[in-house]
Amino acid sequence: MTIDKKNKKNGSATVVVNAPLNNRGRLGREIKRHTSVYLLLLIPLIYYIIFKYVPIWNAQIAFKDFQARRGVLGSAWIGLQNFSDFINSFYFWELLRNTVFYSVGKIIISLPLSILLAIAIYECTRPVLRKIVQTLAYLPHFLSWVIMYGILLSLLAPADGVLNDIIRLCGGTPIDFLSNVSAFPWVVLISDAWKEMGWSAIIFIAALMGIDVSLFEAAMVEGANSWQRIRYITLPAIRPVIVTVLLLKIGTILDAGFDQIYMLYSPPVYSVADIIDTWVYRQGLLQFEFGLATAVGLFKGVFGMILMLISNKLVSRMNEGSSIF
Amino acid sequence: MADNEMKLQAEAVPATDGKKKKKEKVHLKPNLHNKTVRPTTADRVFQIIVDVFMVFILLVIVVPVWSTITLSFRPNTYIGTYLEGMFLPPWDWSIDAYKALLGNDGFALAFFNSLKILVGGVACALFLTVPMAYVMSVKTLPGRKILSTIVIIPYVFNVGMIPSYLLVTSIGLQNHLAAVFLPGAISTYNLIIMRQFFDGIPGELKESARIDGCSEIQVLMKIILPLSKAIVMTIGLYYGVSFWNNFFNAMLYISDNYLYPLPILLRNILMASGMNEYVEVNAFGNAPVQAIKAASVFLSAIPMVIAYPFIQKYFTKGTLLGSVKG
Repeated sequence: MTIDKKNKKNGSATVVVNAPLNNRGRLGREIKRHTSVYLLLLIPLIYYIIFKYVPIWNAQIAFKDFQARRGVLGSAWIGLQNFSDFINSFYFWELLRNTVFYSVGKIIISLPLSILLAIAIYECTRPVLRKIVQTLAYLPHFLSWVIMYGILLSLLAPADGVLNDIIRLCGGTPIDFLSNVSAFPWVVLISDAWKEMGWSAIIFIAALMGIDVSLFEAAMVEGANSWQRIRYITLPAIRPVIVTVLLLKIGTILDAGFDQIYMLYSPPVYSVADIIDTWVYRQGLLQFEFGLATAVGLFKGVFGMILMLISNKLVSRMNEGSSIF
Repeated sequence: MADNEMKLQAEAVPATDGKKKKKEKVHLKPNLHNKTVRPTTADRVFQIIVDVFMVFILLVIVVPVWSTITLSFRPNTYIGTYLEGMFLPPWDWSIDAYKALLGNDGFALAFFNSLKILVGGVACALFLTVPMAYVMSVKTLPGRKILSTIVIIPYVFNVGMIPSYLLVTSIGLQNHLAAVFLPGAISTYNLIIMRQFFDGIPGELKESARIDGCSEIQVLMKIILPLSKAIVMTIGLYYGVSFWNNFFNAMLYISDNYLYPLPILLRNILMASGMNEYVEVNAFGNAPVQAIKAASVFLSAIPMVIAYPFIQKYFTKGTLLGSVKG
């Protein structure tokens, strides 16, 4: 059954070559003809099975009372116990709230900034300034969050960072940014914007480069000033890209940035800093609650999948057929 | 005036020549600010705001970096605020912090561990990604749909870190540098970008090579790869940066001090509240702790900063390949 179905699909491309043969024979011949291709696939496929599919198999411990000495298969099934433990716990809403807060907050801060930056780079008439800003703005993207943390330390160090020096100069009281519950979320959002703003602007710059210049020329002749050209030409032209970027972000809304939070947070700010991933890490790998942590990871995985499929569907509907997969 | 006209003519060519020409000079904005039409006050205000914004962004990027750099050069005798430290004249700088770090084996060791991870990781990742992407782009391959599904399922359905952790520990990769890069040796995203590129290579090229008696591996090595230098380079760099910066896998799987890569060492240095807590580095000489932290940040960032101008071009290309098609 399945072979026939497959055959019809794949056969269509080579119909001309193999027309007289019957279906089954043709598939056999096709497979034989591609033996060397399959051989190329051998090692990557083994890799895929080990490193991508065995973890999916291991995820069954979400439904088990996992004991390291008994292994994945040997541990006893406990049904949905881990899931109900998680959903009924007090941290469930806290984790969900923080996760969504950080991913949405990052979009709200970074997206307008990167659009503004893209437009500014596009409109800037000083080539040197433009080149310098463009180069420097992309750079932080390549630095790891460990390095970012080091840079932030010199800015935000509790007693004597640069920012606190400025606050003191202005007569305020210094804040310990990294362990203050009300300051911490801002540190996360702004440091992320600082790091990724330039990089996210690239796609908008590319979209701007695609605008037909004659539109601008026509508008100028008609007497439109720079502001009107931005309002009526630039923004409408990059609107589809903005919408696409937004839709793609929907798919990763449960990924709030493990590396960043993990580097920046500390016990005093857990209540506002903990996201699903950092919690899974602590619960699973520091406290050895493997089953519970896996259940939470799986919970995130399932919802992440649904969001991703939705976002992919919307993107492909918008861009007529072009989708991520 | 004449200058402006010259520019206008020069710009007119790419403008009329459609997309292709414009794409080549992605970083050049078509110059609309030649005075074909007299700029109004609104236009001038606009240009000033654009310039101000650009300078603002420049400062926002440079100031934090500058504060870290100056901090790393701070002498032990320094008594002043961080803010004042940013304006410390270079002749008062001290390189004690760098001496302390570079004079210590720990830093060099971590650097070489990171280098091993980088080279081994990129080689391994390309060795796995290139053939797979190529096979996925063979349009006549029976089972191609199944293969795509196999690739997509783990990408969409991410089961989280614990199941992978169990896998890596169960195959005994702990305290092997390979544990840092092997779990990420095929990134689905990179795989898809590469496949898209291979898809664009005309099938006739491969067909003719096959007719001439090339095996599939020869087709890949002799026909496809020479045509794909740019994409292989781009993807290799993507992998390189991700392995170089990776601290999560190293943190999970590497507990042997002698195998620590740079990010882990850096993290340990930064997290230590006093340097005596950080036992592996014992010869700190007379540099202040803050300066040593900042210097280690700076030293860890340097390889990336040096490599960056060379790789920027490829990266921008890669991002665009992955996002906007056509």
